[in-house]
Amino acid sequence: MTDPRLDLPQGTLDLLMLKALSLAPMHGWALSERIRQVSHAALQIPQGSLYPALHRLERRGWITSHWGASDNNRKAKYYELTRVGRRQLAAEAHQWARLISAVGLVLDLT
Amino acid sequence: MRRAELDQELEAELEFHIAREAEEYERQGVPAAEARRRARLAFGGPERVKEESRDARGTALLESVLQDTRYALRGLRAKPAFAVGVGLTLALGIGANATMFGIVDRLLFRPPAYLRDAGRVHRVYLAQTFARTEYTERYTSVARYLDLKRWTHAFSSVAAFATWHIAVGDGDATRELPVLGATAAYLGLFDARPALGRLFTASEDSLPMGAPVAVLGYAYWQAVFGGRSDVLGRQVRIGRLPYTVVGVAPEGFVGLGDGDVPAIYIPFASFAWNARPEDHTADYHWQWLEIAAQRAPGVTLATATADLTSGAERSWTARYAGDPRAAALVRAARPRGVLGPVRVQRGPLADPEARVAVWVAGVAVIVLLITCANVANLLLARAVTRRREIALRLALGSSRSRLVRQLITESLVLAVLGGIGGLAVAQWGGSLIRALFLPADAATPVLADARTVAITLLATVTAALVTGLAPALHALRSDLARALGAGGRDTDARASRTRTLLLTFQATLSVVLLVGAGLFVRSLERVRALRLGYDVDPVLVVTLNKRGLRLSPPEQIALEHGLAEAAGTVPGVVSATPAPTIPFWAYEGRPLFVAGIDSVDLLGGFVLQAGNSEYFQTVGTRIVRGRGFGRGDRAGAPLVVVVSEGMGRTLWPGRDPIGQCLRIGADTAPCATVVGVAEDTRTESLNGQHQYTYYIPIEQYSSPTSMLLVRVAGRADQHAETVRKRLQPLMPGAAYVKVVPFESIVDPQMRSWQSGATMFVAFGALALSLAAVGLYSVIAYGVIQRRRELGIRIALGAPRGNVLGLVVRGGLQVVVIGICLGSVIAAGAAKRAEPLLFHESATDPAVYAGVAGVLLLVGLVATCVPAFAAARVDPNVTLRAD
Repeated sequence: MTDPRLDLPQGTLDLLMLKALSLAPMHGWALSERIRQVSHAALQIPQGSLYPALHRLERRGWITSHWGASDNNRKAKYYELTRVGRRQLAAEAHQWARLISAVGLVLDLT
Repeated sequence: MRRAELDQELEAELEFHIAREAEEYERQGVPAAEARRRARLAFGGPERVKEESRDARGTALLESVLQDTRYALRGLRAKPAFAVGVGLTLALGIGANATMFGIVDRLLFRPPAYLRDAGRVHRVYLAQTFARTEYTERYTSVARYLDLKRWTHAFSSVAAFATWHIAVGDGDATRELPVLGATAAYLGLFDARPALGRLFTASEDSLPMGAPVAVLGYAYWQAVFGGRSDVLGRQVRIGRLPYTVVGVAPEGFVGLGDGDVPAIYIPFASFAWNARPEDHTADYHWQWLEIAAQRAPGVTLATATADLTSGAERSWTARYAGDPRAAALVRAARPRGVLGPVRVQRGPLADPEARVAVWVAGVAVIVLLITCANVANLLLARAVTRRREIALRLALGSSRSRLVRQLITESLVLAVLGGIGGLAVAQWGGSLIRALFLPADAATPVLADARTVAITLLATVTAALVTGLAPALHALRSDLARALGAGGRDTDARASRTRTLLLTFQATLSVVLLVGAGLFVRSLERVRALRLGYDVDPVLVVTLNKRGLRLSPPEQIALEHGLAEAAGTVPGVVSATPAPTIPFWAYEGRPLFVAGIDSVDLLGGFVLQAGNSEYFQTVGTRIVRGRGFGRGDRAGAPLVVVVSEGMGRTLWPGRDPIGQCLRIGADTAPCATVVGVAEDTRTESLNGQHQYTYYIPIEQYSSPTSMLLVRVAGRADQHAETVRKRLQPLMPGAAYVKVVPFESIVDPQMRSWQSGATMFVAFGALALSLAAVGLYSVIAYGVIQRRRELGIRIALGAPRGNVLGLVVRGGLQVVVIGICLGSVIAAGAAKRAEPLLFHESATDPAVYAGVAGVLLLVGLVATCVPAFAAARVDPNVTLRAD
C-alpha cells in the first residue's frame, strides 16, 4: 500500500505552521490535524517534530502561547501568531512563491 | 524553579496531545487502552521530544551549564582519588605559573606606584668608548647632570636622585637605612599626594647645600613613629646633619622602585652636601647619582636620544675646555646617551637575575603544559572506559555538541579546583620563591594582586580547554555501534595514538627542563668552586663611619691602626688589616706607568690594594713568588709593590716581574720595586677577564682607608658582634663602626646561578615526577584494556617474558623519542641561555647523557610495574570475562 503522504520539503514546516496559526489560535494537536485535513492527508507533520518546532517558533518571537480550555474542557496550550510572526509569514510565503515560479520556468523547458 | 515549572507545562502539553489522539482512535471504535497505546506509538519517544523541545526553547544556557556542573561534581565525588590527584597536579602547575608571573611582573612590567605617564619616563644611561669597548654607566656626576639639564631640549624634566644606606638616628638608636636624595623634579614625575604635611620644593633643593628638610616614607612612619601626626617638625639626624620632618609620603610610594624601599626622602642638594660638604657643581669625578628624564609631549624616543647624545657631547667638550686634545678625546670616547625603561631590569644594565626569572617563568609554563597533558591523558583514558555510557547517551538522543559541552565542563570543574589550589600554592610557596628573586619587597598577599589572579584565571581556562579537548574530540569520533556492541573491549587506535602523542610531548618537555636543571647546577658548582684568590668565610669587613666627625688624615690613619690592633686582641680573631679595596664593594685605583708601555689603562682594570704586614694571611691570598710585606716596608723606606700573576704577565711579558719598576700615581713618581707575585684575584666580577690587583704596604699608602679586614678562626658571622663591641668604644664622638661578614658581600654575586639552579631543579623534578606518573597510569590503563588480547597471546603459548617485553617496549619507545626530541630542543634553547650560565657549554655532553639516563631509568620503572601485572594475567579469567 503506497503511502499517500508526501515528504515535507526542507524548511517548509515553519511556513505551514505559521500559516495555519494565522487563521486562528490553536493548540498543537489541532494544528497538526488542520494541516493534515487541508492538504487532503498529503502532508502530515511528524509528531516528534511538532512540539520542538512550536517551541522554536515561540523562542523566535513569531508566536505566543497561553493556557486555555479545550473544547472538551481540558487544559491545553494555545498558540497564536504575533505581529512579527505575521511579517515573517508574509516574507516566507513570498519566498516560496518565487521558488515555485523559478522551478516551474525550468521545468517548462522542452 | 522556573525550569521545573516549564517542564511540568511541557509534560502537560504532550499529555494533552496524546490524550486527544487517543480520543480520535476511540471515535473510530478502537477500545480505550488500545487507543492510548496507538496514540503513544504514533507520537514517538516522549523523552526525546521533551528534550528537543527544551533545547528548542533554549532553556537557559545557564541551566544546562549548571546541570553539567552538577553531573561533573557527582562524577568526581564517585572517584575521589582521581579528583584529588588531578586537582593537586593542576594546582602545582597553575600555582607555579601564578608565582612566576607575579615575580616577572614586579621585576619587568609593573610601573612604579604613582608614576604619571610611565611610557614617557626613562632612566638615563651614558655610554662611552674606552679602549675600543663601549661601557654603559648608570651613575654619573653632578656637573654632568647639570650640563645635561642645561643643554637638552627634548625633555620636560631631568631629575637626579640617589639611594644610599645612611645612618639615621642618634646614639644607640642609630640604624643604617635606605635614604633617597631626590631633586624636586624627581618628585614632580609622580602624582603623589603626601599622606601628611608636604613634599619639599625646588627652592629647598638648590645646590650647593639645599635645605635640611625630610619627608618620611609611609612604612617607616608607621613602624617607627606609630603613624602619629605630631611627627611634623620633629628633628631627625640623618648622616651628619639634623633634618626637620615636613611631611610623609603616601602609602605605597617607593620612588622609581629599584632595590630597597626608601625610609626617608631628602632634597638632592642636601644629600650631596651631607655626603661631602663641598660645592659639587663643577665636579665631574665623583660618579654617584642617577638621572631620570621625562620626554616632552610629542617627542619621539629617537629624537630624545639624539638630543641627549648631543648634550653629552657638549658636556664632554666643556669638561676638557682649554685642553688642546679636547676634540680628539671627545671623538675617541664617543659619548652617547641611552634612554632606558623605568624598570632597571629591562634596561641595558639588567641583572642576570631578571633574565633568569624570565627563563624560569617560561619553565613554569612548560610545567603547566606537562600537567595539562597528564590530566588530558587521564581524562582520555577515562573517556575510553566510559565509551559505553557515552554511546548510550548519544543513542538516546543527546546531541554531540551537548556531550562535548558536558565533557569540557568536567575538565573546567577540575581546572577550577586546580586553580583554587593554585592560588593557595602561589600564596604559600610563592613567598619562598619571591625571596630568591625580588629585592626586599613588601610581600602582598596573592589575592590582593589583581594581575596574578587574572593570570591564574587564564591558566585555569587554558588548562580546562587543553585537558578537555582530547576527550571531547574523542567523543565526537566514537562509533556508536561498535561501542555499544563490543562493550569497550577493543583498543581504540586513535585514542591510544593521541595518548602516545601526549606522553611523548611530556617526555620531551621533561627532558628540556632537566637539561636546564643540569646546566644550571653545573654552573653553580663551577661558581662555588671558583678560586677567588682570597678566603671569604672567615673574613669580616669593618667600615668606619665618621658621621660628621672631623679628623685629619694622620688622625684617621692612627685611628685605623688602633682599631686593627684592637681587633687583633679579640678572642677568635687571627689578624686584622686596614684596606682601601674590598672586592665587589669598594675599589681604589691610581694611574700606573711602566717603561715601554704607552697606556697601562688600556690593558685592563687595575685595582690598588694596601695592607699591613699581616695582609696576605688575613685575606688568604697566596704569594706565588717572592715575598709579601715585612717590617722593613715602612714610610720612608724604598717603595715596594706586590703584583698579581696576570698583571705580571701583562706588563712584563716573558720576563720575571720581580725587580721591575712600577710608577704609581704619576709618570714622575719614584719607582716601586716589585718584590712579590700574588695569585690572581677576582675583584669586580666572577666572569670577567683582565682583573688585576697590585698591593702596597699600608704605611706607604699614606691615606685613610675607612675599612678593615679581619680574619677569625671559624665562621665570620659568629664573631661579628664581638668585634663590633670591642671596636665601637674606640670611635670618637658620633662616629660608629659597622661589621659585616665578607660573605654577605660576595654571596649576592652568585645569586643568579643560585636561584636558577634551585628553580630549574625544583621544576625539573616536578616535571619528571608528573611525566613518570603519566607514563605509569597510561601503561596501566593500556594493560587493563588489552587484557583480552594479552590473555589470548598467553593462551596461544607466548612466553610471559614476551608479553612483558611487548608492554615495556611500547613504553620505552615513547621515552626514547622524547629523549631525542627533547635533547634537540634543549640544545637550541640552551644556546640562547648560554650567557646566563657560568663556564658551561650549552651542549655539555655529561648533562645530556645524565638526563637521558635518568629518563630511561624512570621510564623503565614506570613501565615495568604494570608490565609485570600484565605478565601475570591469567588467560582463563580474561577470556571468560566480558
